Amino acid sequence: MTPLLRIQQLTYNPPKRWEYFSPRSDFVLGPVDLHVNESETLAIIGSNDSGKSLLAKLIVGAVKPSSGEIILNGQPIGTHQSKARANNIRMVFRHSAESLNPGISVGSMLDEPLRLNTQLSPAMRLEKVMQTLSLVGLMPDYYYFYKHMLSDGQQQRVALARALILDPQVIVADEPFAALDPSVRSQTVNLLLKLQAELGLAFIFISHNLGIVRHMADRTIVMSGGQIVESNLTQTLFTAPQHPSAQKLIYAHNSMLKF
Amino acid sequence: MIILDIKNLTLEIESNGVLIKALDKVSLTIQENEIRALVGESGSGKSLIVRAISGALPPQWIVTADRLTWRGQNLIKMTRAQRQAIMRRDIAVIFQDPMAALDPSAKLKDQMLESVPREFIEGRYAWQRYASRLSISHKILHKVGIQHVEECINKYPHEVSADICQKFMIAMALVSQPTLLIADDPTRGMETNTKKQILALFTRLNKTRNLSILFVSHDLLAISAMAHSMTVLYCGQTVESGKMKAMRRRPLHPYTKALMDSAPSFSPDLKPKSMLVALDGTIPTLQHLPIGCRLGPRCPRAAKECVQMPTERSINQHTYRCHYPMHVEPV
Ligand SMILES: Nc1ncnc2c1ncn2[C@@H]1O[C@H](COP(=O)(O)OP(=O)(O)O)[C@@H](O)[C@H]1O
Ligand code: SF4
Ligand SMILES: [Mg+2]
Repeated sequence: MTPLLRIQQLTYNPPKRWEYFSPRSDFVLGPVDLHVNESETLAIIGSNDSGKSLLAKLIVGAVKPSSGEIILNGQPIGTHQSKARANNIRMVFRHSAESLNPGISVGSMLDEPLRLNTQLSPAMRLEKVMQTLSLVGLMPDYYYFYKHMLSDGQQQRVALARALILDPQVIVADEPFAALDPSVRSQTVNLLLKLQAELGLAFIFISHNLGIVRHMADRTIVMSGGQIVESNLTQTLFTAPQHPSAQKLIYAHNSMLKF
Repeated sequence: MIILDIKNLTLEIESNGVLIKALDKVSLTIQENEIRALVGESGSGKSLIVRAISGALPPQWIVTADRLTWRGQNLIKMTRAQRQAIMRRDIAVIFQDPMAALDPSAKLKDQMLESVPREFIEGRYAWQRYASRLSISHKILHKVGIQHVEECINKYPHEVSADICQKFMIAMALVSQPTLLIADDPTRGMETNTKKQILALFTRLNKTRNLSILFVSHDLLAISAMAHSMTVLYCGQTVESGKMKAMRRRPLHPYTKALMDSAPSFSPDLKPKSMLVALDGTIPTLQHLPIGCRLGPRCPRAAKECVQMPTERSINQHTYRCHYPMHVEPV
């Protein structure tokens, strides 16, 4: 079976000018290989500065890789920003609260990607927006709401709706749970599980919450120093981590559980 | 011995002509040597409790309480100076969001040196006293797990990572050798390794220095790894409090149960990718508070009586406010 999304030998070397600002100008990412199948969840874990967020940005095309290949449905999509990628691989940003524009209504926020990326008529766009709101469990009224009228959980749902509106095949999320309270977090986990079951979405997410990683992810990759140092089925990885930095993370997590 | 004792603390503020109870009969005690967790979602009033203890509330808040005492002394009645003395020497607070609490225009070194209490500084001459402050600072910064102290200390807050800012805040709080440390969400957003370090430090200080800690958080994993006891807050009301083990094994209040269910790590038998048990809806805003038990609209066990505020009951030092608690036979 060809995987839905395959990343081959992807690398990133920071451009020279970065050196003036960065204390870690020697940081390079990759080469990394990874893949994700339809209906599959892949988690990325690792300590700070291991390159997780950068990898996510490379996958969605927010940062241009230095070399390597991204293959979607068996077709190389090029490493530059393309329509195929924009529509099929969508990102939910880390603090979704910060990434929502406070000046426009939820409706316009969701309409925008449709206007820019599709040929749909205004009436069809409206219908799509309404459908997507209901998909993420928001009432139609939310069309007219602004960011400040939404709770954290609702903002998270809007961010997710915006990622879903173009019917992507892959959703990439950087710390989607970090800013959420426990009950809202559980609701979001359930929503993602439900959407995945209904739509066959592939889901790639970064998280420090290893409890949720263990619950949601089919496979998990561990990053350290810009490299993937371990990659395995989640349950296997959590019971028998091999690489020292994987062991460190998982033992730290387990040691908190023992009490 | 109880060092901090809060009984029926109520905080009211006027909004559009009506008084709103942001805290409604909150009770909380901290024993000598105890690590107590204060758990609740954002907006539930955790930080208000911290500010009520430290006396950092804006004047328009109306504070009433049956008791708000530090080692038997009434915190509400005492003078400003007395209260500040307690806050300077006995109780240290790490406020939420280290980036906001640190002064962005001053080097970390200056802020750190500033927080060394005068009575610890040795030497007669300015240069001796400076050296003394510096060496005390270095020691504590090492202790909280900052590597390359020499390098970090000369930077401004925005030049180092959030983790390092957080560790500086902790060091600045601990340098006065307080009896009680109040830490408002100290592990928020931390990666697992850093979190473990901080928790290990707190546990060590509790064991070796008899430091009592009020650990304000909703990180259940961190809480259960460290706290001896726990008080659960929902929407300005303390709903349950007791020993950590008992609360984990047999939560009495439906909200505590929901909290425990939200951490998949606590349910080893949970099938991967299965739906988590979660309460519907979200915590109401202060403008839309339900009457009686505030969990009512979201509570799976709610019934008619729940529009009356349940009274506080206790079984074996396990206290709860609920008309239909779990694991307890109806009377
Ligand atoms: N656009 C970029 N260009 C160059 N270097 C970057 C860029 N983004 C991040 N970095 C560097 O890459 C390293 C990894 O960062 P990041 O992916 O944010 O780590 P993590 O998400 O694992 O904490 C850091 O040292 C960071 O400074
Ligand atoms: S008092 Fe009623 S509404 Fe409140 S928690 Fe108990 S059962 Fe639920
Ligand atoms: Mg990151």
